[in-house]
This record gives sequence, structure tokens and C-alpha cells, in this order.
Amino acid sequence: MNAVTKRKTTNLVMELGRRWALIFLLIELVFFSLFAQGFMSLRVFQMIFFFGITVFLLGTAELFVIITGGIDLSVGYVMGFASIISAKMISAFIQAGMQHLPALILGIVLTLIIGLLPGLINGLLISRLRVPPFIATFSMLGITHGVAELLILDGAAKNMPHLANLIGNGYFLYWAPGPGLSLFIRPEIPRGGFILELIPNIVILAFIVIGILAYVLKRTVFGQHTYAIGGNVDAAIRSGINVGRHKVKIYMLSSFLASLSGVIYVLMYVTGKGDAGASSLLDAIAAVVIGGASLYGGKGTVWRTILGALIIAVLETGLRVMGIPTFDKYIIVGVILISAVLIDKVFPEKTYTDNKE
Amino acid sequence: MKKGFILLASLMLLVIAGAPLFANGGTDAATDEEITILFMPGIADPFYYMMEKGVRAKGEELGINIVVAEFPKSWGPEAQVPILEATVARGGVDMVLIAPTSVDALITPLKKLYDQGIEIITVDTYLGDGDYSKSSEYSFPLSYIGSDNEKGGREIAEELAKLIGEQGKVYVNTTNPDVSSVAGRVKGFKEGIAKYPNIELVGVDFNLDVQQKATDQTLAALQKDPDIAGIFATNVFSSQGAYQAVVNAGLTGAVKIATWDATVDMIAALKKGEVDLVLAQKPYEIGYLAVEWGYKFLTDGTEVPKAVIPGFEYFTQANVDDPAKDEFIYK
Repeated sequence: MNAVTKRKTTNLVMELGRRWALIFLLIELVFFSLFAQGFMSLRVFQMIFFFGITVFLLGTAELFVIITGGIDLSVGYVMGFASIISAKMISAFIQAGMQHLPALILGIVLTLIIGLLPGLINGLLISRLRVPPFIATFSMLGITHGVAELLILDGAAKNMPHLANLIGNGYFLYWAPGPGLSLFIRPEIPRGGFILELIPNIVILAFIVIGILAYVLKRTVFGQHTYAIGGNVDAAIRSGINVGRHKVKIYMLSSFLASLSGVIYVLMYVTGKGDAGASSLLDAIAAVVIGGASLYGGKGTVWRTILGALIIAVLETGLRVMGIPTFDKYIIVGVILISAVLIDKVFPEKTYTDNKE
Repeated sequence: MKKGFILLASLMLLVIAGAPLFANGGTDAATDEEITILFMPGIADPFYYMMEKGVRAKGEELGINIVVAEFPKSWGPEAQVPILEATVARGGVDMVLIAPTSVDALITPLKKLYDQGIEIITVDTYLGDGDYSKSSEYSFPLSYIGSDNEKGGREIAEELAKLIGEQGKVYVNTTNPDVSSVAGRVKGFKEGIAKYPNIELVGVDFNLDVQQKATDQTLAALQKDPDIAGIFATNVFSSQGAYQAVVNAGLTGAVKIATWDATVDMIAALKKGEVDLVLAQKPYEIGYLAVEWGYKFLTDGTEVPKAVIPGFEYFTQANVDDPAKDEFIYK
């Protein structure tokens, strides 16, 4: 009787311990709703997702790499590099006389293809030449940064069509008294009038990609191999997985997501910038770790990484709404990171990787 | 795991559903007739700290509410826009004084605030080409209050030409090709220097607001052209970086340096003879004037000139100890 109750309590504590990140996020939300005037609004919630996109995407990229036991330090500057080449190509296509929509699509598709290249090189260096991931991707960080700056020597990466802006800063759904509902196109309303704007387009785009990758990681052979490589390389090799080839794919995926962030940056800010993603790298890695992944590899999930990213984004936005300098953010994130690793040690998970949950 | 997310999603939905009610209440409470002006700086540096002082001083004098947003730690829309939007979300902001960190990228975020009924004045840097007097997609701000950077660039060119005897090679170290203020300085400098047939401009480097890079670039330029006679550095980071490079190369005195922005460090360098000319903008006055004009517009609808341009002050070794000039040093 007593033993059963005790086990039940222990189970509950374990359960709560494992869900600490979610509980922490809820505490943040409640705290800021109470103490930050203006925080509890639709606008701020959408803002958190809108400005969080870079860390969501780079965090997902980093997650795949970290599960295989590697690290990709180049994602921030690959993002900047992609923002510059896409902006340069799109404006060049338009100057050459192309229509805006085809120019935009072609520029984006080409950028996403070129954006696979840094990942391909990283992957080959790591799997074929046995260069440690830290060194290979750190070198790639420098190379993409340098090339990006060379590209803007003859002028900034700008002159985007207005369409880019409409997509990047537009919403899926609008409602205003008078014009009523409309999709994608913002109705004309008098200045200062009420308008409801719901779900930024690029948030939808980013979450479609993230959703697909969550599925790939959890439900497909590709995902299982990713976990297998990080869990035990020798076992993975013995079971016939082509580890080298898989790692190349992983680094290309990471590079692809970084390029996608770069393209989204151009849609949001209509300019390319070499260091556009530089400050997001550490947040992305922090998000992965807060999300319970281990830098030794073998575990972690996409949704937990997004949860980790949200913890940072809510903290940052909340502090800003309160008017507290975000220097404090660095301290708090540091403490959360250490706690994350310790808490995960105290409450070992059943394994996030199994599909039974 | 799944349960957790359903829980999270439903909680967020609940909060969002209830949010508009609370949000409106909040905004109304904050507005209550009091005028609130938000100052959004471009980056954490002495120039904007000085401007903040001007903003606060005038705000206190007028008895209005001044909110100073967090100073971005790097230069760029990805650092500035999230701070701007989160700070405005507090509610009650009537006017934003902002140094846009990009001529293009800030148009949409600021237009969004303008459409909500918030007035915009750009300080130090501007949107588009900075001409708000003719109608365009970026002509909605009330005014640009800041230096005439091209004029400053031309004047610096003349002063530097005098210092190097109107002949030899000159080099420019600047920050970012996408920022209106520094781009104007370089443009003006090129125009100014073009009037001297015996002066050759050997290069323009962009250090992207990283001082160490300015040092490296200037060292590289000095290696390529060891006979560079004069250097123009366009802002705090450029000047301090370029000056360090000249010192490292052991060329102090042989290369004349003209710099922009009178930080305490630059004035100290001038006193030591390490640089030769310092142009001081008037950030304090820019902040002060912006609040003054903003207040007039918000209270009686006084029309604000589309551009308000305070002049410059020049520091040379001859006048640097003049106590009357002390107020123009950024501290």
C-alpha cells in the first residue's frame, strides 16, 4: 500500500522532472503576463514566433547534427551568405527584365541549391577526411563569412521587389471592420483603425518545414539511422548503415535549413547581410540542449528543440516588454543551460527516441 | 510528449483568446493623456548614449514621458526590429525617434507603427534616400533630424587635403554599405577629394562595425600602399581601428588621420598627436531637437521641417584644449 503510493509519487516527480522545460515555459508565460504590461497580447505572441524563426530553423538544423554526435558552427554565417546571394540574384534577375514572381522563385530555389554546398563540403571533410566537426564547420564559418563580404564589396545586397516584403511581412489572415476577412492581402484601412492580423506567412512556411523534419526524424528510416549513428557508431556500421554517406546528408540538411533562414531573412528585411545569423548560433545550440539533446549524440527531438527555442524567445521578448536590458537574458540562459544538463541527469528519460510514447 | 504539447497549445490558445481584452485595457491605461516618446538607438555606442542624454534632458524639461529602448548590441535590422516591436508593445507610445539601421529594411516595420497611429521621426540615419518632402513609400516620417553627412564628408576631404599638402594617396575605412549616414560621408569625401588632381583615393574598406577588422583592413592597405598620406575613418569603430593600425605599423605622424565622431578616446588620441582632425557631430543636440519638434507636433500640430540639420564642430590639435569645445565631446 505504502510502497505503491510511494512509487506513484516518484513516478509523478519523475514525470514532472522530465517535463521541466515545458513547465518552465509555462512559468515564464505566467510571470510575464502578470508583470510585463502589454505582454499578454496576440501581437506579442505572434512576435515571439515571427522573430524566433531563425532560432527555430537553425536549432532544428543543429539538432540533426548534434544527434549524430557532431556540431555545426557554420549555420549562422551560411545563413548570412544565403541572404546575400539570394538578394543579389533576385535583384540581378529583375534588372535583366524578369517578372518579379519568377525572379523571386528562381532566386530562392537557386539559393537553396547553392546553400547545400557548404554542407556537402562539411560532410565530406568530416566523413571522408576525418576532420573533427568542430574544425570543419568552424572553417566553413570563416569561409562563408569571407565570401559573403566579398560579394557585397561592390554594393549592398538590396533592391528587392516589393513582393518579397509582402510575403515576408504579410499575414495569412486579415480581418478589419468594413472590408471583413481577407487572405494574404492586407485590406486598406484608415490610419489608426483596428485590424486583426493572424499568423505571419513565414511562420507558416517555417513550421511546415519543421513539421516535415519532425516526422522524418521520428518515423522514417532516415531518422532511425540518425539516432543509431549518434547512439553507437560501431553498432550502426555493423548493422549496415553507410555512416559516412548519412553524415554528409545530415550536414547538407543543416546547411539547407541555414540557407532557408537566409532566404526568410531577405523576405523579412529586403536586404542581405553577411552576419545576419551570427548571433543566433549560440541560441540555436542552447535551444537544442535545453530541449534535452545530448552533445554526445543519440537523443533529442524536434519539438523539444522548438520548446527550448521558445524558452529563450519568450524570455527575451518578455524582458524587452518589461524594459529590462537583455544582458540579464545571457545570465538566465546560462543558468537554464546548466540546469538543463543537471536535471536531465537526475531524471533520465525513458528515451525520447522511442516511438512508443 | 504529445500530451505536453496539447497542454501547451491549449494554454497558449486560452491566453491568446483572452489576450485582446487585457491588451486593450493595458493600452488605454498607459495612454491617459500623457505624451510618451520612445527613443530607439541604432547600436550601443557613445554617439547614441550622448543622443539619449539630449532626449532625456528635453523630455524632463517638458515633463513628458520618455522611454529609451534597449541599445542593440550589433548593427542591423535583425537586432533592432525585435527590440523596437517589443518595446512598443508595452503600449501608450505616441512617437518613435529612431535611428534606422537599414535604409530599406526598416521601412515596413516603421510603416506598420505609423499605420497604428504612431508618429515617426528618424534621427542620425534615415529611410530610403532621406527625402521625406516628396511622396514615396518611405516618406511617412515627420522629419529627418541629423547631420548632413555628405557635407561633412566634403569638409573632411578639404581639411585632410590641407593636412597632406594637397597631394598623395588617401584611404577610407568605413562601416557598412547599407547605412545611409556613413554612405553619405564616403560619397561626400569622394566628391571633395576629386577636386584635388594630385590626390588619389586608393581604397574604401567596409569593416561592418567591427573595430578589429578596421585595424586589419587598414594594416593591409598600408602594406599594399606604404606611401598612404591620409586616412579618413567614418565612425567610432573605423577611427579607433584605423588609428590602432597606424600605431601598429609605426607610422604615427607620417600618416594623417581624419576621423568622424568625438568620443573621449578619439579626443585623447588627438591630444597625444595620434590623429590629426576630429569631426564632432552634435548627437546631444539631435536628441534634444527631436524631442522638441516631436512635442510641438504632438501638442499643437506644428509642422515639422522635413529635415533638421545641426552643423559640425572640428577638433584639431590647436583647439582641442579650448574649454568652450568641451561640450561637443561625446561622454
